[in-house]
Amino acid sequence: MRIERERMWGFFEWLFQQGGLLSGVLLVVLLSALAFTVCYLVAMARYGPGEGFYVVTRVIYELFARDLPNTSCKRIFAFAKLAFQEAIRRKVLAVMAVFIVALLFAGWFLDPNADYPAKLYISFVLTGTNYMVLLLGLFLSCFSLPADIKNKTVQTIVTKPVRSTEIVLGRVLGFTFVGTVLLVLMGLLSYVFVDRGLRHTHEAEEIAADGMSGTTSFDSHHAHTFNVNPNAVKEAATDEKKGHRHFVEITEVNGQRVYSIGPAEGMLEAKIPVFGSLKFTDREGKEADGLNVGYESNYQKYIEGGTLCSAIWSFNGITESLGDELPIELTLKAFRTYKGDIVTGVQGTIILRSSNGRVESERIPFVIKEFAVDERRVNRKLKGTVDQVPKELDLYKDIAPDGKMEVIVRCSDKGQYFGMSQADLFLRAGQNSFAWNMFKGYLGIWLQMLIIICFGVMFSTFLSGPVAMIATMTCLAIGFFGGIAEEVARGTTPGGGPVESMIRMANQAGAMVDLDLGNDVLEKSIQGVDTGIMGALYLLTMGLPSFNDLNTSEFVAYGVNIFEGLVARHMTMALGYFVLTAIVGYFFLKTREMAA
Amino acid sequence: MSAVATADQKSASQAQDTDVIIETRNLGKVYRDFWGRKKVNALKALDIEVKKGEIFGLLGPNGSGKSTTIKLIQGLLFPTSGRAFVFGKDARDVSKNERIGYLPEESYLYKFLNAEETLDFYGRLFDIPASTRRQRTDQLIKMVGLDRARRRQLREYSKGMTRRIGLAQALINEPDLLILDEPTTGLDPIGSREMKDLILRLRDEGKTILMCSHQLADVQDVCDRVAILHQGELRELGRVDSLLKVRDVTEVHAKGISEEVKQKIVDLIKNSGGEVMSVDNPTTTMEELFLDIVRESEQRPGARFGSK
Ligand SMILES: Nc1ncnc2c1ncn2[C@@H]1O[C@H](COP(=O)(O)OP(=O)(O)OP(=O)(O)O)[C@@H](O)[C@H]1O
Ligand SMILES: [Mg+2]
Repeated sequence: MRIERERMWGFFEWLFQQGGLLSGVLLVVLLSALAFTVCYLVAMARYGPGEGFYVVTRVIYELFARDLPNTSCKRIFAFAKLAFQEAIRRKVLAVMAVFIVALLFAGWFLDPNADYPAKLYISFVLTGTNYMVLLLGLFLSCFSLPADIKNKTVQTIVTKPVRSTEIVLGRVLGFTFVGTVLLVLMGLLSYVFVDRGLRHTHEAEEIAADGMSGTTSFDSHHAHTFNVNPNAVKEAATDEKKGHRHFVEITEVNGQRVYSIGPAEGMLEAKIPVFGSLKFTDREGKEADGLNVGYESNYQKYIEGGTLCSAIWSFNGITESLGDELPIELTLKAFRTYKGDIVTGVQGTIILRSSNGRVESERIPFVIKEFAVDERRVNRKLKGTVDQVPKELDLYKDIAPDGKMEVIVRCSDKGQYFGMSQADLFLRAGQNSFAWNMFKGYLGIWLQMLIIICFGVMFSTFLSGPVAMIATMTCLAIGFFGGIAEEVARGTTPGGGPVESMIRMANQAGAMVDLDLGNDVLEKSIQGVDTGIMGALYLLTMGLPSFNDLNTSEFVAYGVNIFEGLVARHMTMALGYFVLTAIVGYFFLKTREMAA
Repeated sequence: MSAVATADQKSASQAQDTDVIIETRNLGKVYRDFWGRKKVNALKALDIEVKKGEIFGLLGPNGSGKSTTIKLIQGLLFPTSGRAFVFGKDARDVSKNERIGYLPEESYLYKFLNAEETLDFYGRLFDIPASTRRQRTDQLIKMVGLDRARRRQLREYSKGMTRRIGLAQALINEPDLLILDEPTTGLDPIGSREMKDLILRLRDEGKTILMCSHQLADVQDVCDRVAILHQGELRELGRVDSLLKVRDVTEVHAKGISEEVKQKIVDLIKNSGGEVMSVDNPTTTMEELFLDIVRESEQRPGARFGSK
């Protein structure tokens, strides 16, 4: 699973150090200025420059002096209730039916034989729910107000003591409520779907003659084996298959051992990761950037095997609460320059080192197999050296007395490489409840829906229904592809921007070769134009919500706890967009002739 | 809507003391298309005052600017010239709506709500407490005669029923000023009669009513004063009785007389130097006045009726 650096930021780190607050404020100022200018130009065309200015400033004055102070929760609630009634009577529940049918169909197509069925099921339901709810929000929010204006029902409304703020907020609230109800229903349905799809157990079969090992029956496309520890003959655990294992309870009935196998364990989890910061050393052991093996993405850096190349993660907050067996999770990527032994994988070592570098553990070997998550448990009692002198060490007392520790990863196989990013090695600080993680995943979807509704309602205050929908969808699309625009604008994607890519396509030139047109000026100007185009797009994406970032379903699917900081950040962002769109919507509604 | 406007507003609030409920000054509206080009000059320099406790009628042929005037007065349209004041406040001030009840030209209500829900919803918009809301809802539904259809969605309502619920909606806040755009269209004769009785009753309770209509009989029956518009221009303004009395015509309503008696009366009029114009069932004189004004206005655009 990819976790970008930005997603690990704590809430306050994002807000203050990474400019979350700053860009939020900037956005509000810029957009307000834009809305003001647009309205002024319209008003100027209509009433002339002086009068137009007066009209627009009066709207701002009225917002703060009259409309906000007089905004009534009761009226907002009345509109919300109306929106809800409308949605129900217009048979929005049909969406639910579509969802159920889709789920039933999906049951046919999901591969139950997959390596990680839990991941597959959860991604499926979360992605399905996500698209469904976004689509719902889009349709609900974009068409309602334009329909009201077209049917002139709005004329009966605005001749009541109703403030424009209430019309906007009431709509957002009402549609959000409708969406929430549907989301909860979909969530429950999904839970049942996932649970029924994954829940299974086995029977004990083929018990060895001594009764100390056995194989389970073949159910749900797999079977487990288990060994009984002679020291604890009442319990055993099976091996891990398809991302889970079972506990085996062993009882004696009439002198006969009976093996009963429990439900699947570890399928639905929410690991709490502790991340460290990552740096690299080169072949000579000096600090350096990691290597690039020529993949298009810069997400991972590589270290070369059999050299002093290493990746060093520095951790803070190492305390005994992490347990006697420190779990280290690895998702390194092996890059082979020769085929080697596919079955045994590529070998590597881990060394734990104190922050001052004097205390070092011995090498802990590990093997990277293709496409597998490796978990190493390091016992707190381990061998190592202090100032090169061999000694028995305690992880917490000797290596991390100050709570700091470095984890050094090297690749042992000469000529092979390990690829890694910051999130690819973490310490597991326990488990969070899966249900809670799932809830946070749904909260992410809910926030996306809220933002869509806000944008839809905002656009519908001055555009007709279909146009408002296209505008909202454009925002959504830009929000989805924001990452690409940013990379191209920064010039970090191979192949360049739109014009350069077009030329490459025409010349059938690959993305990695230099653009060669035999004319330096031409090349530079093409790249300049590209940077301009993508820069503008980048600015746009900066202003628009990043739906990729808001989507946390991957965390749920991969069983990683969604960071509380990330959730807090998303909620703050959603709140920001809510306020922003409400202001812009108010502005347009207020300056609109309702009967024209 | 500039510096002058504030001065305007002051004088308008003074006007409130003298019981002027609605005031328009030089009110004009030009409809423009999307590109800002002029399309229709729907209303030209209208000056009227509606006083407290009167029934004021706006009259005029189709497209003469009646609905436009009403919408300008409610702030549904923004004037291109002049201003309108209601209760001494600018027409675009939302707070004035607390005391207004409005029945649009067609009842623009949510078709997916039933009668009860409709009234409850609009009641909420006035922040009316729940118990009062329930009580008034019930009372109004009974008053407009929709008791049997109160749980049916408005999409199933007939035109007259929609009109009735529209009226109930306009009365939910017990308004001081009632603005009715063609209140009797779509109503059956009984409904129309009831509507007129209601308008008169409300007037007697001290409320002010502004209505527009081309049902001349209705206007004649209920209005205290009328303004007659033609092509966006004010053509005539005054009390209904004096407007109609200017003509030296005597109307005799009688019942149960024979042809002979009728002939005798005709003879009597002739003998005493009068002229018999017709002996049919009498036409509404309002209609004649109206037709005269429209006819003359078409011949001599721009001039007030009667001015020679
Ligand atoms: N939204 C609009 N856009 C453009 N022109 C309009 C609009 N509304 C009304 N008009 C025009 O303004 C003029 C006055 O219309 P208005 O609706 O005020 O007439 P009315 O007196 O109410 O007529 P009726 O008796 O048919 O209801 C008409 O010429 C009409 O075509
Ligand atoms: Mg009209």
